Amino acid sequence: MQLRKKARWLALSAAWLLLVLLGGTPLLRLAVPPKPQPGPPQGWPRWLDAALLKSFSQPEELPEDAVSQPPSTLRGGSCNWGTCFDTSKCRSDGLKVFVYPAAGPISKVHGQILASLEGSHFHTHSPTEACLLVFLLLGKDALAPLSSPQPPHWNRGQNHLVLSPYPAPCPCASWLGRAMVAEASPMVDTFRLGFDVALPLLPEAHPFRGGNPGQLRQYSPHPREALLALAEERGRWRMAGINTSDCPWDGHCEWDLGPDLNDPGETLPNATFCLIPGHRPEASHFLQALQAGCIPVLFSPRWKLPFSEVIDWTKAAIVADERLPLQVLAALQEMPAERVLALRQQTQFLWDAYFSSVEKVIYTTLEIIQDRIFGASAHPALLWNSPPGALLAPPTFAMNPGDFPFYHLQQGSHSEERFSALIWVGALGQTPLKLIQAVAGSQYCAQIVVLWSSERPLPPRWPESAVPLTVIEGRRKASDRFFPYRAISTNAILSLDSYISLSTSEVDFAFTVWQSFPERMVGFLTWNHLWNEAQGVWGYTAKMTNEFSMVLTTAAFYHRYYHTLFTHSMPKALRTLADEAPSCADVLMNFLAAAVTKLPPIKVPYVRRHPDTPLAPAGPGTGQEPQLLAGDCINQVVAEFGHMPLVSSRLRLDPVLFKDPVSVQRKKYRSLEKP
Amino acid sequence: MCASVKYNIRGPALIPRMKTKHRIYYITLFSIVLLGLIATGMFQFWPHSIESSNDWSVEKRSVRDVPVVRLPAESPIPERGDLSCRMHTCFDVYRCGFNPKNKIKVYIYSLKKYVDDSGVPVSSTISREYNELLTAISDSDYYTDDINRACLFVPSIDVLNQNSLRIKETAQALAQLSRWDRGTNHLLFNMLPGGPPDYNTALDVPRDRALLAGGGFSTWTYRQGYDVSIPVYSPLSAEVALPEKGPGPRRYFLLSSQMALHPEYREELEALQNKHRESVLVLNKCTNLSEGVLSVRKRCHSHQVFDYPQVLQEATFCVVLRGARLGQAVLSDVLQAGCVPVVIADSYILPFSEVLDWKRASVIVPEEKLSDVYSILQSIPQRQIEEMQRQARWFWEAYFQSIKAIALATLQIINDRIYPYAAISYEEWNDPPSVKWASVNNPLFLPLIPPQSQGFTAIVLTYDRVESLFRVITEVSKVPSLSKLLVVWNNQNKNPPEESLWPKIRVPLKVVRTAENKLSNRFFPYDEIETEAVLAIDDDIIMLTSDELQFGYEVWREFPDRLVGYPGRLHLWDHEMNKWKYESEWTNEVSMVLTGAAFYHKYFNYLYTYKMPGDIKNWVDAHMNCEDIAMNFLVANVTGKAVIKVTPRKKFKCPECTAIDGLSLDQTHMVERSECINKFASVFGTMPLKVVEHRADPVLYKDDFPEKLKSFPNIGSL
Repeated sequence: MQLRKKARWLALSAAWLLLVLLGGTPLLRLAVPPKPQPGPPQGWPRWLDAALLKSFSQPEELPEDAVSQPPSTLRGGSCNWGTCFDTSKCRSDGLKVFVYPAAGPISKVHGQILASLEGSHFHTHSPTEACLLVFLLLGKDALAPLSSPQPPHWNRGQNHLVLSPYPAPCPCASWLGRAMVAEASPMVDTFRLGFDVALPLLPEAHPFRGGNPGQLRQYSPHPREALLALAEERGRWRMAGINTSDCPWDGHCEWDLGPDLNDPGETLPNATFCLIPGHRPEASHFLQALQAGCIPVLFSPRWKLPFSEVIDWTKAAIVADERLPLQVLAALQEMPAERVLALRQQTQFLWDAYFSSVEKVIYTTLEIIQDRIFGASAHPALLWNSPPGALLAPPTFAMNPGDFPFYHLQQGSHSEERFSALIWVGALGQTPLKLIQAVAGSQYCAQIVVLWSSERPLPPRWPESAVPLTVIEGRRKASDRFFPYRAISTNAILSLDSYISLSTSEVDFAFTVWQSFPERMVGFLTWNHLWNEAQGVWGYTAKMTNEFSMVLTTAAFYHRYYHTLFTHSMPKALRTLADEAPSCADVLMNFLAAAVTKLPPIKVPYVRRHPDTPLAPAGPGTGQEPQLLAGDCINQVVAEFGHMPLVSSRLRLDPVLFKDPVSVQRKKYRSLEKP
Repeated sequence: MCASVKYNIRGPALIPRMKTKHRIYYITLFSIVLLGLIATGMFQFWPHSIESSNDWSVEKRSVRDVPVVRLPAESPIPERGDLSCRMHTCFDVYRCGFNPKNKIKVYIYSLKKYVDDSGVPVSSTISREYNELLTAISDSDYYTDDINRACLFVPSIDVLNQNSLRIKETAQALAQLSRWDRGTNHLLFNMLPGGPPDYNTALDVPRDRALLAGGGFSTWTYRQGYDVSIPVYSPLSAEVALPEKGPGPRRYFLLSSQMALHPEYREELEALQNKHRESVLVLNKCTNLSEGVLSVRKRCHSHQVFDYPQVLQEATFCVVLRGARLGQAVLSDVLQAGCVPVVIADSYILPFSEVLDWKRASVIVPEEKLSDVYSILQSIPQRQIEEMQRQARWFWEAYFQSIKAIALATLQIINDRIYPYAAISYEEWNDPPSVKWASVNNPLFLPLIPPQSQGFTAIVLTYDRVESLFRVITEVSKVPSLSKLLVVWNNQNKNPPEESLWPKIRVPLKVVRTAENKLSNRFFPYDEIETEAVLAIDDDIIMLTSDELQFGYEVWREFPDRLVGYPGRLHLWDHEMNKWKYESEWTNEVSMVLTGAAFYHKYFNYLYTYKMPGDIKNWVDAHMNCEDIAMNFLVANVTGKAVIKVTPRKKFKCPECTAIDGLSLDQTHMVERSECINKFASVFGTMPLKVVEHRADPVLYKDDFPEKLKSFPNIGSL
């Protein structure tokens, strides 16, 4: 009995001992109220006598800012835009660029650069008229001190741009004087911010014009595809998976290496991230990744990212610290889906807008310099960094992003409520009375502008209409109809030919559709482009088909912006083409819209009145070869654009109750129901 | 009994074998002990919150009784700043470990009073502004009191104003900080650098590798991507409240308010004034102010006296000229007044220029062009001026108005360099709140037409209508572009039919069983979905033809960022009830499509599951209704675009009500749906749905054209 008690006590006390040893301290801690710990306080102390603290400057000191020093004592031999570029020469007629002719034999890239410079609308032949003189450096070891005598108009390099498509081996700024340097992948340390221009390092066989589109085929990464591709020497890539457990904490990872890729074009689009070391030779990988839609992850790049003055690279690439590869990998793995999605899309937009051809790279360079000259009237950052890009959004068209058809969403603005009808009266010179009535009857019509392009005299009187009517006498050229006339007061234009017949219903419905798609052309009559396999040429057909890629401007809604683009941004050769073959103007306008939007136009229903309406051949196709129209024009335009931008569509937008078995009384657009 | 004695004598066993009664007793005892242990273990987590709620950590203290540190004359001085420093060369990132919040940790050294050998103080303790700055940091998420976990160190040595510093001794004080290590990861704040006669544009105190947040950098001293350019704080920001002034014409076109201008510049400005008379105003110091009037708050032009900074609100553009220093406090006053600053200071690095887009808020004019400034400004259109005025004011509110704003913006910039993958975007830095609120950033902004070859995944949500489900599967499998079929089996009480019973189809068929019968299961981003296009289809939608489905997919390819569906619906504003109403009649407009049969991008599944605002998702699951309306709201809100309804109206067998028939039930159904719209609109805070009057048909739909030559002949037939 005694022993049993003893055992019980023993166990009980042992248990208590255990309890006290293991868990007692926290219990005790809880029992005693916490006491301020001695030593330094946490946080920054609140001073009792804060009122005694003096201000960091005397009340008079800031506005006075001590004595002035003579303003002329600017230090430093380095240049910046304000001090080394004379914008007064560009004041009168904007940026005019003179290019020194190449001395001696030149490589293909150099030849293309010269051709792009000479083909740009900034180009001038007179060095005295120019406000920017471009000197192209030849040879790969560029930027070596000029061996040849200095260019004739050198003037210490004032207003000169020294252009080098290759990275320079040394920063030889001494002979450059006041000239700006546009160099491929320039070193961060010698780059003069806001003065020099960083170019991309172009591959040997870069297309001159147009260029290949981005390779991204889908928005989000395929769930099975590899996450990483690693840049290796000589432009090669290696696929890899992340397995951070293979990475000891000294930063050296055992990569789960995949096969070596010699042809990156094939497999790269499958990787989500492309890791690129920061050394300069690796810069050539950057464009490859960009085109492939593989998000570039740059490890402490020593070179400046191309066009970083205007392009916000944080939207398309990730610049990470090379000392923390594991941290970066972990962050990549955990990156939220929306960010990955946005980065991927931005790579494609940037590639296509600024990098896919030599011409685009050169035009972007000039556009950046023009923006510097414009100062406050330059492209806002939004225009550079969202589709369609600054090259397609001329500041001459509008200063406010809301005036362009592309930025309504980002700006939170709305497209316009009214349109202007632009009626083109051709050689026959009939007054389009019925058409004016039908269009003026639309509740959305703001004005009618008649473009009289006939030899015949203007009719003395015009029909009374509910909206103001303006008559402009054209110069009888086909390109006239796409001139940005001051008289057009709205953003929406309904372009019409005088012989077309439309009902008010059709106009109303088409306009409500256009309001949903202000950047696209919305038309009634369509063409489709075709590739003629046998002859290896493009053609197009006006037959009724299941697809279309162009809408005729004889009856179409589009944004006023396209007039500015057509007249001011398109190469002159193309505009003359339109004047020579008027039907080519339609093709051109559609090419332009497709190149900007990358999307097909939109077709709305059109009630055929006369079975033999010109330009819209009726009658069912009987299965024979579609007849090709003026194939010459389309092929010339394709050559000038450098690629075929047209996209086909298989749908038409109809009113919601179109031809539905319900009472006509319920339908808003009744006249469209007519057979 | 004997046994127990025996064991006790033997002793080696820890738990003696004994009678059941005792065993139970001991087991109970030990479990009590165990419970006690667990409980105390849990208590260990409590005390932290109890302690931290005790506000003794932020102590009120007097500036007078700070410890004194004597600096011997020969104590080390840091080297001069290294101009080639960059983040990857001079900054030790290893101190900034990976953390889920992606936030750097900042440590503040405690305040000390430094005296030289002879006991003369090196400087007065600290300034009010520096105290505010350190308080702001210590109140922020960046702060840590653990020096070992810190990634950035801020000395409590005040170098805001170089004029009040003894350069050499301040440098010595810096060098003896406990973690100085050549200044690595140390951040100094300075607003007034340099001193007479040459006024350097960066702090003259030798600081080795320390980062400098300086007001008044020039291109020669600013280490891009390493230093941070900050504003010169204007004390008037706190003293004077200038209410925001709406855009519109102001009395003066151009105003100069600075007092200490170089005579040459003043001459040029006065020449402008003489030329343009009323629209240009050049102010100067007042010479004959009565006693007691603060001269800082007055400006004069000939005999006219103006209140400063109020006068700035009277001008459209305000000149900010360089003085002896590049950074001028007047910039802050000008922004506060909503006046567009005309910055004339060659090579000046504008505050926070690494992230702020100054083109939107200011005009920068080279000093050489001072005489042309009027014509340069005249060329700016009025609309843009108003935009700049708004932007200027917003910059002041967000980044200039207090020392706290300046300190936090500086730390954010450094933070974004260290965690670039979590950096704040251009829009977040630059867009004023009104724009941020109104703007829509479509997650699928790239115009891209996905290749047809990819096809789509059909997802059929089903409960137990197996027969109907099998018919749907058979019908859908006829669509050429179908690449996979996913059946979401939402019935937990019943197993799906055996594999052999399922229809044999040409594409993979997969059955997913769910844990709970929830409507949101239909929108879960299943790993099995490999295509981008998803067709959500109910298990009773058997009336859609293969042509119609294939055409719907083609339409989706042209509008991959929208919901593309068959039956359309409309929301209307009920003026009598003053709320939204759901409409399913034959209307001329559409604003929603039912997801009983709709194509959409699979990303929206991710958004629906993880990013649905408010409690909508749970609400839908609880009410077993309106998941389709929720999806319509979500997509419209995030893309800002309308739905696309495809093909003519068909007789759907009451597609939105499950197995309910009869008029009265139908009406309650409508009431419920209307309630959903009102509920969602209030959660979203807006009505995101867009109304359109069009639907998509094949190009030749109902055209006079042989049916057999049409791509999609079988459309609209019942």
